[in-house]
Amino acid sequence: MVSLRLRFAILVAKSASAASRLIGNKGETLPGRILLAIEPEAISLLSQNKEVILISGTNGKTSTTRAVASLISQLGPVATSGSGSNLSWGAANALMSPAPYAVLEIDELHLPGIIAQTNPTLVLLLNLTRDQLHRMHEVKRVADRWHVECAEASETVFVADIDDPFINYAIANAQNVVRVSFGGRPHADGAVCPRCGSYLTWVRGNYSCTCGLSNSESDLKFKRGSAAYRNALLANVVGEIVGAEPVEFSESQLERTVTKQFGEITAHFRLTKNPASWTEALQGDLYSAVILVLNARQVDGIDTSWLWDLSFKALKGHTVIVCGERALDMAYRIHVEGIDAVVTESFDEALSHVQAVDVTVLSAYTAFFELVM
Amino acid sequence: MLEIIRIHNELLGTYGDRGNADVLKYRASLRKIAARVTDISYLDAIPKTGDIYLLGGAEDAAQILSLTALRKGSILARAANKGAVVLAICAGFQILGSKYVTRDAEITGLGLLDVVTRPGDRRLVGDIAVSTELFDFPLTGFENHSGVTTLGADAKPFGRVIQGNGNGIAGVDGAIDKSVFGTYLHGPVLARNPEFADLLLERAVGAPISAVDDELATRYATWRRALIK
Repeated sequence: MVSLRLRFAILVAKSASAASRLIGNKGETLPGRILLAIEPEAISLLSQNKEVILISGTNGKTSTTRAVASLISQLGPVATSGSGSNLSWGAANALMSPAPYAVLEIDELHLPGIIAQTNPTLVLLLNLTRDQLHRMHEVKRVADRWHVECAEASETVFVADIDDPFINYAIANAQNVVRVSFGGRPHADGAVCPRCGSYLTWVRGNYSCTCGLSNSESDLKFKRGSAAYRNALLANVVGEIVGAEPVEFSESQLERTVTKQFGEITAHFRLTKNPASWTEALQGDLYSAVILVLNARQVDGIDTSWLWDLSFKALKGHTVIVCGERALDMAYRIHVEGIDAVVTESFDEALSHVQAVDVTVLSAYTAFFELVM
Repeated sequence: MLEIIRIHNELLGTYGDRGNADVLKYRASLRKIAARVTDISYLDAIPKTGDIYLLGGAEDAAQILSLTALRKGSILARAANKGAVVLAICAGFQILGSKYVTRDAEITGLGLLDVVTRPGDRRLVGDIAVSTELFDFPLTGFENHSGVTTLGADAKPFGRVIQGNGNGIAGVDGAIDKSVFGTYLHGPVLARNPEFADLLLERAVGAPISAVDDELATRYATWRRALIK
């Protein structure tokens, strides 16, 4: 029986949502905030009659959530969070839907709380690398919190990519785990064992520790591949556990890539928001003209030091144009690596320097949403 | 050949400080000074013949591992005594101190700087600016740590804090002893402050180096200084 207070909270939140849409907002944050203000237990109450699936990790959350939601929709209506709306109010907003299934992208720091409140059927853990360190502080700190909460959630199945030692540590004491390995991959932040603090032994992307933490024993093993490929497989593993038929996703469906026309120029946007997503993007195909957009607002990470951990060698020989609020940080970073960029004041000015028909745009989080959404 | 030794970057590389080595090498190349950056991992021996040794910021467990390895043979202390330049950021700075205290243990440091670091009660995160006796303009960077570092009787601060927190006590940042520099400034600090990179190069070469006009470096540094609050 839904309580009167919850019903009232939903009513107010939904009218706020309608009003918010009228004035042109996407309307995902405000109603969730109102709902939680009136009924702080809303997430827990609304999850009681739902099969809840949560997806978290540093990179690939939004696209993988979309893929899992489309798989689960074979089974019935699915409530899901909008792009990137992954804090508790985003979850609350999505859970107002009467759909029997909820597939939610959850921010790394919010995940333990949301697991505790929703008692999810399944949680998919993708990866943990450096991101927004002004907020996360340390990768290990996030993994520690997950480690504690995963052990508590005794009714939840965890699907975990254990090639990432932080993910393997996070689920080390969980009771129901499907351990997935893609034959190993290097981890830029994985020198130290997150479980015992020893120096991890890495051999061709596979790690092992004297304490026993290792990616050698998995329940499911796949061949190596790109992040998009891995996330497509992980989505299908989730689908299969819940009872959906497998679907073949193209890599582009699982990359944050968007194509947008600007007059004569076709801009191919890709979301690059931290060292791991930059590395992935720079290993991919790039057009001869490349625009780099760097901001440093809260969700971008307000510190730009991490640019120095990347190699931008792949940009050599390209026409490189930089813009964004921290264009100079980017320009100087690549200058020291021997790549000279045109520094511009705006994306429009950056485009005016593109002579080609196609341009690759590697974009910070906030700029990505402003420019393509 | 100017030997730049980047120590344990896989452990001390959490906050982008590896860039300090790249900036030094780049600014040496502008003067036609041959320089080489050598990455020394936790498993390698530390070379005795470095001209500049660099340490960066780290997570807690990595910091302990790095310190354990650096204790062997006291290479850094010997090199510093012979005049080598040492630049240590954040966790690296704490490692150089006489002692640092974690929530579980008291750990003896390398003792190159007379400082003690204790856990603070809050995380100090944000833009930081310091004035130093080395330059007549402030240096900028970014700090992200929760240590509180107290200077001993023999220690001199690296700078006075204009914005941010630095050591988290007494309004100062870092410590300095001859050519050993400890600071909380990430950024990386030498990318944000090319003049500081040049000073380290001069100390390492042992003679004045020529002025260069790297317009972008100056523009970047000037812009960040103009934003000091």
